[in-house]
Amino acid sequence: MQVKLTIFRYDPENDKKPHFDKFTVEAEPTDRVLDLLEYIKDYKDGTLAYRRSCAHGVCGSDAMRINGVNRLACKVLVQDVGTTLKVEPILGLPVQRDLIVDMEPFFDHYKSVIPYFVGSEEMPQKEQLQSPEDRERFDDTTKCILCGACTTSCPSFWANGNYVGPAAIVNAHRFIFDSRDQAVVERLKILNDQFGVYRCHTIFNCTDACPREIQVTQAVGEVKKAIATARLD
Amino acid sequence: MALDRKVGFWEGVRYKGGGPMLAWALHRISGLGMIIFISLHVVASFFTQQMGSDWAIGINIIYESPYFQLFIVFAVLFHALNGMRIIILDLWPKMLRYQREMTWLQWLIFIPIYSLTIFIMIQRVMAGG
Repeated sequence: MQVKLTIFRYDPENDKKPHFDKFTVEAEPTDRVLDLLEYIKDYKDGTLAYRRSCAHGVCGSDAMRINGVNRLACKVLVQDVGTTLKVEPILGLPVQRDLIVDMEPFFDHYKSVIPYFVGSEEMPQKEQLQSPEDRERFDDTTKCILCGACTTSCPSFWANGNYVGPAAIVNAHRFIFDSRDQAVVERLKILNDQFGVYRCHTIFNCTDACPREIQVTQAVGEVKKAIATARLD
Repeated sequence: MALDRKVGFWEGVRYKGGGPMLAWALHRISGLGMIIFISLHVVASFFTQQMGSDWAIGINIIYESPYFQLFIVFAVLFHALNGMRIIILDLWPKMLRYQREMTWLQWLIFIPIYSLTIFIMIQRVMAGG
């Protein structure tokens, strides 16, 4: 089958404004959108720029807007999106070139929520065990690959880039609800800020965009409730 | 140099967020609509009663038209039900997993109430009320 692609292009050295280029490529229904981009780069236009690394939905490099919604190019099959595709960079972050955006503001928000395990001050003498139930409590949010699809699909983030965004909250959730972690109060204080969890207006774009099917809005809701009630139910 | 991408209104609207994003947009529009309606209504009523000004009477004629009343009933009812859904989801975050079902429930309550409103209003208009 033939697939028609309209791709966002912007070369900071030559273009004053972004524009769209059209390509037609031969593809199988089971090809991924990333395969089509690879074909275009290899055989049609070597200047096309995009990020990709593992190409198997694990590294989270190739989040882009495909036919109007954020998806990982390596996880979307042609048969699921049709033969006419519009590919754009994710919204709300500066475009460095074509489909590549500057992820620094995204990672700054991520770093701001203490996204790592904080253990007790005393060095434990043996492994800190955790019951399967306690581990299950934050299992969903361990799956995040930091692709940025959720944060850049969020209208609250588009409106104000200072909002920490769903990805940072998901990663805070992973440690807030970890029974062994000691920095829960600090994280909740950070997220109780005016640019914290309460910027979430339950729009669900993040949950739809997440390639790992994390219940992002639920995680944000649970952190909101933890802040409001000062309890980790 | 990187291209700064402020997401404008139309760019945002083009994002295909589906039903939940539409519900959020309608919630904002209906909320704003109600604020403008109530503010103008208060101001127009004041000027009508105190001075009998023509523009204020004109605004009241718009309010009293059946089309406008259908819009305002839609705004109030939708805003109230959608707000209830969001409050329930906020109070019990575990329900967020079932937000799709809750949205269906919301429309299931909305449609009969709004249909009844339309029916009564058409009946009154036909009766010349």
